[in-house]
Amino acid sequence: MTALVVLERVTFTYAGAVRPALADVSLEIAAGDVMAVTGESGAGTSTLLLVATGFAPRVVGGTLAGTRRIAARRCGVVFARPWTQLTGLCSTVRDEVAFGPASLGLPRATVLAAARNAMETLHIEQLAGREPSHLSGGELQRVMVAAALAMRPDVLALDDPAAELDPEAADALYDVLPVVAAAGTGVLLATPDSERAGRVATRAVALASGRIVAEGSPAEVLTDTEVARIARAAGCPPPYPWDVPSLLRRVER
Amino acid sequence: MIGYVDGTSPLHRAHPYTTLALSGALLFGAFALTRPLEVGLLVLTAVLFAATGRVLRSSAQTALLLSLPIWILLFVLHGLLGAEPRMAFGPVALSVPGIARALVLGGRVTAIVLGFLTALATVSPHRLVEAMTADGVPFGRTFLLASTLTVLPRMRERATQILEAQQCRGLRLGGSIVARLRALGPLALPLVLGALAEVDEQVLALDARGAAGSARRTALDPPPDSRAQHALRWALLALVAAAYAWKFWRMRG
Repeated sequence: MTALVVLERVTFTYAGAVRPALADVSLEIAAGDVMAVTGESGAGTSTLLLVATGFAPRVVGGTLAGTRRIAARRCGVVFARPWTQLTGLCSTVRDEVAFGPASLGLPRATVLAAARNAMETLHIEQLAGREPSHLSGGELQRVMVAAALAMRPDVLALDDPAAELDPEAADALYDVLPVVAAAGTGVLLATPDSERAGRVATRAVALASGRIVAEGSPAEVLTDTEVARIARAAGCPPPYPWDVPSLLRRVER
Repeated sequence: MIGYVDGTSPLHRAHPYTTLALSGALLFGAFALTRPLEVGLLVLTAVLFAATGRVLRSSAQTALLLSLPIWILLFVLHGLLGAEPRMAFGPVALSVPGIARALVLGGRVTAIVLGFLTALATVSPHRLVEAMTADGVPFGRTFLLASTLTVLPRMRERATQILEAQQCRGLRLGGSIVARLRALGPLALPLVLGALAEVDEQVLALDARGAAGSARRTALDPPPDSRAQHALRWALLALVAAAYAWKFWRMRG
């Protein structure tokens, strides 16, 4: 697989900060990857997304040390707070989703087709004519993911994309990610939802105080799930099962 | 009421440049017209402008509210400190030319504010963006102008949310002026800090969606323009130029 982003011993420090937000981080994101990034609040997961997509330090400032190679032509980012990502200039969801492709100067028909496809992928076609600022948090979050997808990014970084969603909508959103990755996009997913992430991720990294403390398959890294906690509490020896099927397999053995 | 109000009035349907040109003509005309009769006509034009946009009541109320402190200041300053002759007005003797001067200045301010509020209420930021995009105006400038039109309604919405949240935590809004001024602290601080924090994310989101790119944006639904509107805009420009020429000719005479 083609490496879209390569980080080698990257350290990133925000302007004015004493400690780096990321320290000595090395990882590679390839086309088709769905990489889950977990860690406690303040661990540096959001910063990793910004560094991997090139927005830090270019837009947010700060200093970067180490080697970063970004082969991706376009990177999309979706943040946890969807209302801060609204352009404020679009009167319909269709226009909000089409904003990105329109910025690329593509022909009108191509722009509208890209917006329509992205809305279909997120199952939000019925919102196309609605005023974006009148949507619920969950609807808006799906709109913002569609807006990022409409740009057809090579790398799509999602920061807790289901924070505003109900469980059903969150499942639907996570189910879209392998489809997006299969089309050749590298997906970077920062989330505290280990269970859903484990279901769709191909690889996972765990961060603590800006450093990678675990890297590998989702089963190896995303161990802080409800099922794993129950297994731990029940005295089950490690490695703990992280989802119901793996728990059942363990019980059967 | 400050901000765009959805509608179907002639001003709403007009090309955004035309409505802005009318508002601009009021603004520049106000500085060129100096006689009481001229200013009276200017105020009447501003009233007609607001009535054409079907926002007269709301815009006039806000315009009067906003210009009231200026009216009071003008009457106190020019009425008390103006030249002779004076007219007894209760216990005080007010300057007749001073009062006339206050009326002229207050009328100009009210006409400007009313024109501006009418433009805010009838120019859809989205249509303005589309018009500017179709004309190839760089996104930075478009965003600057459209943001100016949307900043007040957005701040007001946010202030309402903060006030409601603070009231839930026991903030009391009534009482003496001192108590009301004290209540401004819990409103102003989160309002400003929250806006600053969200600006960071919005900059990132816009950048991620290609807003900072060099490609010429695609206009999706540019508002229709006509030769008549084009001619009207030029005529307004000529009218303002003529008003200034008239003003300078009078000054020389």
